Amino acid sequence: MTLVHNWHLGRRMEYPYFESRPKHQFAAVFNINRCIACQTCTMACKSTWTFNKGQEFMWWNNVETKPYGGYPQSWDVKTLKLIDNGENTWYTNEKDEKTSPYGVYEGDTIFEAAKKKNLNQWAVGYVPEDKEWRSPNFGEDVAKSSKPDESSSLPVHNRWFFYIQRICNHCTYPGCLAACPRKAIYKRKEDGIVLIDQKRCRGYRKCVEQCPYKKPMYRGLTRVSEKCIACYPRIEGRDPISEGRPMETRCMTACVGQIRLQGFLDDNPKNPITWLIKNQKIALPLYPQFGTEPNVYYIPPRWAPREYLRQMFGPGVDEAIEKFMVPSRELLAVMSLFRMSQTIVFEYRIEEGPKVFETMIHGKKFEMYNDTIIGLGEDGKEVVRTTVEEPIHIRPDKHYNSI
Amino acid sequence: MRKCFSVFKYGTALLGAVFLSTALYAAEEAAPGAKGMSDEEFTPVKEVMLVKFVQMEKPYHLSVHELGSAFKEVKGVTVNLQMQDKAFPNGGGSVKTAEVKGIHDGMTIFFQVSWDDATKDSRVIAPQQFRDGVALMFPLGKVTISTEEKFSPRMGDRQKPVNLWNWKADWEVDLVAASGIDEVSSQYPGMHDDFSTNPISQTYHKGLMQSPSILAGGISAGNLFSLPNRGRVVEDLNAEGFGTLTTQDHQDVDGCSAYEHGCWTVIMHRPLNTGDTFDVQFVPGESTYFNMAVWNGDKEDRNGQKNISTQWHPLELERIAW
Ligand code: SF4
Ligand code: SF4
Repeated sequence: MTLVHNWHLGRRMEYPYFESRPKHQFAAVFNINRCIACQTCTMACKSTWTFNKGQEFMWWNNVETKPYGGYPQSWDVKTLKLIDNGENTWYTNEKDEKTSPYGVYEGDTIFEAAKKKNLNQWAVGYVPEDKEWRSPNFGEDVAKSSKPDESSSLPVHNRWFFYIQRICNHCTYPGCLAACPRKAIYKRKEDGIVLIDQKRCRGYRKCVEQCPYKKPMYRGLTRVSEKCIACYPRIEGRDPISEGRPMETRCMTACVGQIRLQGFLDDNPKNPITWLIKNQKIALPLYPQFGTEPNVYYIPPRWAPREYLRQMFGPGVDEAIEKFMVPSRELLAVMSLFRMSQTIVFEYRIEEGPKVFETMIHGKKFEMYNDTIIGLGEDGKEVVRTTVEEPIHIRPDKHYNSI
Repeated sequence: MRKCFSVFKYGTALLGAVFLSTALYAAEEAAPGAKGMSDEEFTPVKEVMLVKFVQMEKPYHLSVHELGSAFKEVKGVTVNLQMQDKAFPNGGGSVKTAEVKGIHDGMTIFFQVSWDDATKDSRVIAPQQFRDGVALMFPLGKVTISTEEKFSPRMGDRQKPVNLWNWKADWEVDLVAASGIDEVSSQYPGMHDDFSTNPISQTYHKGLMQSPSILAGGISAGNLFSLPNRGRVVEDLNAEGFGTLTTQDHQDVDGCSAYEHGCWTVIMHRPLNTGDTFDVQFVPGESTYFNMAVWNGDKEDRNGQKNISTQWHPLELERIAW
């Protein structure tokens, strides 16, 4: 094992390979607050990559309902149990903006738990059986209710559920890659996408076992494992419609709820992905305590119990929700970029507009400016331009169903 | 006092209610996960297995029952097996011994391996299914092995590569499957499928089946595990240490098997000489070594999770006597 820095955990941790970060890292921000569980993303992925024989149970993208849903069933509970040492604690006053923005996690990661338990493998894990993969919609829309008689109102609902949208996290320290005894899994230097080499894989399912998110899946037809490939031909600009420019994945671009924005995590403070994740800390990693430094980030649902959310997204939950509930002028503008373009935005620029609205939200003053946000592509050229106020279009009454 | 909260406070109780491109990058290994090996492991066992010259009646049928009679008078060796405890992930330990016999007829060499296994695991379609298997390993080239001339009995090493023959129980099922590979629907009968790989089925989609890159990564990459109609049950491989196992481009080994009374008998055979530099070559009158591993699918054995012998076994080919 070597020591690598995991900024989600705010500390160094053990990992079988040296730290080596890509030029820029494939990453996405999912705004849970807006998801309607229409599963359009799920079907976009399925109809592109997993429509075939032996892939019947495979959903590289899935949307499950928390707290009861899970695909495969109870994946997170089972993995949390494997790393539970009774002292899985965050020290939130030990913050450093660069190296430990959420504080320091002192529990075991999947790698450390395996070492402590002398498992003689790189990470803890388990291989879900076929029956666990069978019901991707298990628990859908089932609410958890602590006080059934009470009505629900913000800030925290008594009766609640929320959707969680899951793809492979293209982790910085992938459990799957660590687990593979054949080194058939690799992380690309140029964009950090994690892939299984379909020729080297021998179907051992160690990745299925040791990915804490259960995103590699075994295909009975080909007897090897497959996983989300981050639509890499699109990322590389090789999809014919991308005209050579990096383009967001199928699940992102199909999103009806406009909850998803995908791009790359880098050091540019004016990259919308980097700004939301690192500068604003409004989008948080899923189960950072697993230790893989996942690269899909979530804006937590503002109505769910905070303790539940902290277990899921770490200690950054309160700050993220606070910022989301009363968004700043810049945040409103950046949030307007979601799903306005298929071409990946590498940088944004804001042109200021007039103030159009003001009110009080939860005792805080909120002002809305109709700013224009411009998204620039990899080549610095404009790919999208939109305003904070959505343009209104009134249908002419010549249509049969006009009001 | 450090300010903290526990991520497990809410607890498991609540939750508990319920393709291929460019450079390898993160994978520069810092620690191989293999602990040191003892001198004993570099010392081959004393007992030499004599690969008897047997004149075979031709043509012979590839069946354990017919070939088996040729092994009747042959004395084999008992190989002690143990769990693989050096390279991560460790595992195995459920199969304690295997019996190995060898014969040749001046053209072809045959090895027969038998071991006890209470369950027959010959399907790997469901994610929780793992196969029974056995592998024989030979040093590449002409070598002598001793504590002075070390040769790793565990998959060889960078300077000293090995040739491996790996028989797999599920490949036997594939061999006789109508579509050239055991169907997903044989594990899940009556399942709905949009596309059948079986050409006589009503849902066979010719266009789709003939465009492998659309079909499946494993097939389009030419992975022997994924290809239908591979026509053999033994895989011919090379390795130069843990994690380096690689399928050969040219496959030369075949075999057959029988599972009876809780015991596997597997015969693997190959021409004595193949002319392939990646293969071990056998010369009557000369000696080399072998080592072996057994996988018990029922115990979730696969890869390094296997039952191994930690020492090389010498073998000598009897001279041809016409
Ligand atoms: S989410 Fe799982 S499959 Fe994806 S990179 Fe991380 S460990 Fe690997
Ligand atoms: S398409 Fe968007 S809104 Fe619909 S389920 Fe997927 S993430 Fe949610």
